[in-house]
Amino acid sequence: MSTSSSNGSSSAGGGGRVDYDARVVGSGIGGMESALKLGAMGYRVLVVEKEPSVGGKMILLSKVFPTLDCASCISTPKMGETTHHPNLTVLTDAEVAGIGRDDDGRFSVRVRQKPRFVDTPLCTGCRLCEFACSVSVPDQFNGELVARRAAYIPFPQAVPQKALVERAGTSPCTFACPAGIKAHGYVSLARSGEYEKAFQLVLETTPLVGSLGRACYAPCEEQCTRGDLEGSLPIRRIKRFLADRHEGGPGVEPGEPTGKRVAIVGSGPAGLTAAWQLGLRGHRVKIFEAAPEPGGAMRLSIPSYRLPAEVVERDVANVTALGVEIETNSRVDDLEALQRDGFDAVLLATGTPVPVQLGVPREELGAVSPALDFLRSVKLGDPPDLAGKRVVVIGGGNVAIDAARSALRLGASEVHEVCLEARSQMPAYEFEVEEAVAEGVVLHDSWGIRGFGGKDEVTAVELKRCTAVFGADGRFDPQYDETETDELACDVAIVAIGMRRERNLQVDAITLQSAEQPWLFAAGDVVTGPAKIVDAVGAGRRAAFMLDRYLRGESLSEVPFDERLPGVEHEDVLRRQRGHSRRDPLAPAIRLVSHPSDFAELEPGLAEDEIRAAAARCLDCGVCSECHECISVCPAGAIDLEQREQELEVGVGSVIVSTGYSLFPADAKPQYGYGRFQNVITGVQMERLLAPTRPYNTVLRPSDGKMPDRIAYVMCTGSRDETVGNPLCSKFCCMYSIKQNQLIMGALPLADVTVHYVDIRTPGKGYDEFFEQAKAMGGQFIKGRVASIAEAEGGNLILRYEDVDNGGHIAEAEYDLVVLAVGVRPNLDTKTLFSDEELALDEFDYVDEPEEDINPGATSIPGVFVAGAAAGAKDIPESILHAGAAVAQAAAWLEREKVTA
Amino acid sequence: MSALPDRRIGVYVCHCGGNISDYVDVDRVIASVEQEPGVKVARTAMFTCSDATQTEIVTDIQEQELDGLVVASCSPKLHTFTFRNAAKRAGLNPYQYTQVNIREQCSWTHTDDHEGATEKAIRLVRAGINRTRLTSPLEPLVVETSQRALVVGGGIAGLRAALGLAEIGLGVFLVERSAELGGWVGRLGEIYPHGKNGYELVAGLEEKVRARPDVTVLTNAEVVGKSGSFGNYVASIRVQGEQGPETIEVDVGAIIVATGFDAYQPDEGEYGYGIEGVLTLPEFEELLSASDGPLELDGRSVRSIGYVYCIGSRQPHGNAYCSRYCCPAAIHASLRVADRGAGVSQYHLYREMRAYGEHELAFSESRKRGSLYLRFADDDPPTVIREDDGLKVTVRDLLTAGEEVTIPVDLLVLVTGMVPRSNDELIQALKLPVGRDGFFNEIHPKLRPVETVVDGVLIAGACQGPKTSSESVASGLAAVTQTAAMLKLGRAELDPQVAVVNGAACTGCGDCVAACPFAAIAMTGTNGNALAFVDGAVCKGCGGCTPVCPENAIDLLGYTDAQVRSMIDGLVAAV
Repeated sequence: MSTSSSNGSSSAGGGGRVDYDARVVGSGIGGMESALKLGAMGYRVLVVEKEPSVGGKMILLSKVFPTLDCASCISTPKMGETTHHPNLTVLTDAEVAGIGRDDDGRFSVRVRQKPRFVDTPLCTGCRLCEFACSVSVPDQFNGELVARRAAYIPFPQAVPQKALVERAGTSPCTFACPAGIKAHGYVSLARSGEYEKAFQLVLETTPLVGSLGRACYAPCEEQCTRGDLEGSLPIRRIKRFLADRHEGGPGVEPGEPTGKRVAIVGSGPAGLTAAWQLGLRGHRVKIFEAAPEPGGAMRLSIPSYRLPAEVVERDVANVTALGVEIETNSRVDDLEALQRDGFDAVLLATGTPVPVQLGVPREELGAVSPALDFLRSVKLGDPPDLAGKRVVVIGGGNVAIDAARSALRLGASEVHEVCLEARSQMPAYEFEVEEAVAEGVVLHDSWGIRGFGGKDEVTAVELKRCTAVFGADGRFDPQYDETETDELACDVAIVAIGMRRERNLQVDAITLQSAEQPWLFAAGDVVTGPAKIVDAVGAGRRAAFMLDRYLRGESLSEVPFDERLPGVEHEDVLRRQRGHSRRDPLAPAIRLVSHPSDFAELEPGLAEDEIRAAAARCLDCGVCSECHECISVCPAGAIDLEQREQELEVGVGSVIVSTGYSLFPADAKPQYGYGRFQNVITGVQMERLLAPTRPYNTVLRPSDGKMPDRIAYVMCTGSRDETVGNPLCSKFCCMYSIKQNQLIMGALPLADVTVHYVDIRTPGKGYDEFFEQAKAMGGQFIKGRVASIAEAEGGNLILRYEDVDNGGHIAEAEYDLVVLAVGVRPNLDTKTLFSDEELALDEFDYVDEPEEDINPGATSIPGVFVAGAAAGAKDIPESILHAGAAVAQAAAWLEREKVTA
Repeated sequence: MSALPDRRIGVYVCHCGGNISDYVDVDRVIASVEQEPGVKVARTAMFTCSDATQTEIVTDIQEQELDGLVVASCSPKLHTFTFRNAAKRAGLNPYQYTQVNIREQCSWTHTDDHEGATEKAIRLVRAGINRTRLTSPLEPLVVETSQRALVVGGGIAGLRAALGLAEIGLGVFLVERSAELGGWVGRLGEIYPHGKNGYELVAGLEEKVRARPDVTVLTNAEVVGKSGSFGNYVASIRVQGEQGPETIEVDVGAIIVATGFDAYQPDEGEYGYGIEGVLTLPEFEELLSASDGPLELDGRSVRSIGYVYCIGSRQPHGNAYCSRYCCPAAIHASLRVADRGAGVSQYHLYREMRAYGEHELAFSESRKRGSLYLRFADDDPPTVIREDDGLKVTVRDLLTAGEEVTIPVDLLVLVTGMVPRSNDELIQALKLPVGRDGFFNEIHPKLRPVETVVDGVLIAGACQGPKTSSESVASGLAAVTQTAAMLKLGRAELDPQVAVVNGAACTGCGDCVAACPFAAIAMTGTNGNALAFVDGAVCKGCGGCTPVCPENAIDLLGYTDAQVRSMIDGLVAAV
């Protein structure tokens, strides 16, 4: 649906379509030239550029042949004029989604506006975000010779001179976190030694930094891309380090008081996280906890060897430091009474405190107790005396494992664990089962419970063979072989077969709000049934977000909460990270002993150097780590990580395709070693080494930073070469190499430059004279193809080549640095520009010009023109003339349309 | 000396990414000038021309209420307009801006003397500040522009340009010196790379051009004079009238020169030229186009052909340039020969093979179809003789280890290049700039590739340098685009930095009239009461008139005597 406004005025708000006379795709030199000339004639032009700056490839060059003008000096005025011209509208970071033809012969263009994650009008280009950014990635605007930040301004002359944040998506670790903790973010900050900032980043989500750093099952680590290589990063232990290192209170102030009061029932991970988030938002929160200590399962059931009570207490102290009041030993049965007491809202977060019973004979015997009660008594310092006793734990989950290992520590002579599942199917994590067995727990898998033996006190657990746990439909439906039985003698039996909630409260899955009582919310296990701590943290955070909106009188329907960009695929990361080096993971640190006798914490913390080494292994999958440093330093408040792609539609009378070219990927000639030999670089990289904004301020070779004395050029890399499918000459490589040759002789007066060429092609105004000049300056030119390049010790390179002019023999020469004069490949973006019609390409995939002889720039589609190297290799002057030709015809087309309209 | 006007000037000194700051201590320059009277802002910038710094300048002008701007960077040729526009955006009159050149005229010329370069830069910047202090706002002269253009030359570039102008809605006069339109391409048969017929291409274009009511075609006509100024030129054209030659005048806003090239004509004996069976490339192409079927020369079947490349091009003494079109043209000619039946041996004796871009495909094709290529050294050209048993060319072939081979051929083609056309009268009439190679010169190959230093006089096609047919057409259309960009809106702004006469002081001596190279000054009024009058649209602001006035009655806006004196003061004062 589109409405076109004939006067071309832009319509306010979404939905409307803006009309232009012409649209130029691509803002390289050809595109800028086209747009500026059309603008000067009075046409209104929309320029769509997919990169974050206008200027194309030319602005990244050093000087340009044959005049040796500085490329910046020629490009920047055009870039500025393009963006400032009153008839031109420029969209950077924008891609054409499709061009269709309207009934009236005009074109309708769908443009995808990619997010910059920076509010561009607010950004002043001060670069503070760049300096603060914790992620470095190869700088594509510097030939990947150096690194840039994820938050960056593309290059010094970029237009607009505004920052952007590169986000490839959400990093897999962060994406995997049910709580929405920015795992990549704190890893990235830890890598920079910014431990306190990393700690604060976790606090943005939850106060339970230390507890999660120990007891989280770390779904982040399962998704870590390094896991596909040498092993995942120890993300959880990095978090633990942050918590252990942090001293004092949270260092966070509560929000501006809202005057609202919230009661939270239950102080487990959901309740504590919700209280924290609500406190940050300025609400007064009081938690009612039935147990004598706050912390829920973290405090009451997870054994101290995994999660010491002091750690939980410190996390709880974060919450109380924010002004949250916690009333322990305070059971709440009447939620309505809380409301009557003046609480504006109530959050139920009571978890699943009720143990599930077996329902087998003699379960009521003495010394048969639920695991939750047992673990709680241990953690609260009043453990049963198990010294020398035989203990049977029933259940195959994590709680059962916890109970079994705790029993061992209390001096039990034997600890048996019985579970329905075969070992491979046990719900407990395999590593926990392994640890339990290593400590001396005897596992009896695939057994069900017939009943208990004994009179008053239990003396035995009676078993029957379990043949299947789940039915065909995947539901819990255990099958037994009643004929196969056994019996385990025991003094104490601990049942750990599940937990359930005490109260059944129906809430909306998204808003967590009760349908009946809008002031009542519920979160965590009380809603979902037993889940991981980190799931409850996520639920608590969601509940607080919704509660806050409710308390502020805002709508809860269709509110985006924690909307993440799609997770990044591992393959994409590994493709991008071709050059990553092998970095081995840390060795496991837990030392297990048989029949441990105390509850000392098993896993040691990591030392700082281990943390740095571990965090340095991060592959920065999502590029931006969401460490939020840019947000905290930006003086203009311009960073907006919530920006998302938008699509807009424009109407145009004519289209000029000036999408330019791609460069030949030098690693497609493996015999030249690009990508393997550090001192084999491309002509584009040499451009950067010579440019005014050069990364090293001189010409250095990459492997060791040495100034090269002997430099070789390998011409026709990827051009005139059937073996890579490109029989065409790329036209400008001879000239740019000769230019670089002269610039190198200026930059490194002692260096020898040798050009290995097939034919020197300098057929342009002043070009051959330029070639003669290079020869006169001392440039060496050797005719003959280079067969292969080998690397010598120390990084030098041995070229094997044909010396045609001296008898045609095969020779070898050693160089410090080799430059591959890569040529041109078509930019295949042209294939998908048009949705209704086919833009004809020639046999080499350049835009076809069916009447090049007389109508250069005209394409197979009437009204669509091509400017510059999108139609085939062209140097800058030729691209500019070609753009002029395209514009003349586009203007003629628009005039014709005006007449016929 | 009168009290200095109270000014608020911003001074920006550019690093130019090291182009300047590698040799000039830009921080010292700033430190030395920031105390100059009137300077309110003084800063350095990595790239002053970058959008970021321009934005900063705009902000400074607005926030500090600046009334003068100085940027010390590169040549005014590059960025005067850039910063005038920045001033304009900020609300400052663009003529209160001064560009100081501390790159081409300072850092680049004194790379061996950092101290000296820095001192010089200080002096230059000070002079610029002094000039700026005496600036006053100037408003551009607005002229209505004619909606017609003149195209000189009826070859393929001129024809296409004429059609292109008309298609955009501009009226055209197309002037051709010869009796026929079509130029070189109109005489050709099949042309590369698309195998179209040159004659037919041109005929089709001519038909379209002649069908347009807004194009006036004048053949047997020559441009002999030009008066007026950009936007409103009056071109004098000599045409063949019924009573012999007569001159007509046409009003045009711009002039596109597309006068093409001449073929290089070898001297007698040059590579055997003059010997029977030795032809130039155009002669050979004519032979090819003259008949179908197996190739014959003077009735004898041609079984072998030699081609010697770079005749008249890339010569150490003579034309140094590469003629660009000849390698592809000769390859293409050899393919046409091959098309006419097998059995003709073809030998190409070349120096460097400029089969650039897609012409590489034809080069490969010709080798597949039997053409042999032999490469000779620049200083070891082949020799051509005719003996009793026929024509022979001898060459030392670098591709076969320098072996000397003598090849008997039935026909030898001298692959001749392009040379500039002799056009002295036109060059005089239009004041066309001619380059070292004899072709017309553009202002800048990238920034203004079809414009000349004469406003509104453009160049297209091979008169600017060797080009193929389609390249000439592209440049012709680029000239159309530039012309339309200048004329289409119907009005143009001209630089107001022109000479003005102080009527009270002028004595009417007329010395300035004689000094003006642009005929911009005329005497008005009666004898005894005559005064000089400057036509601002014609005046180029060259300043030639100001020193000759005995009464100092004529001044150049933007470079008044007072300003120039103040600049000298700034240059000579101690650093």
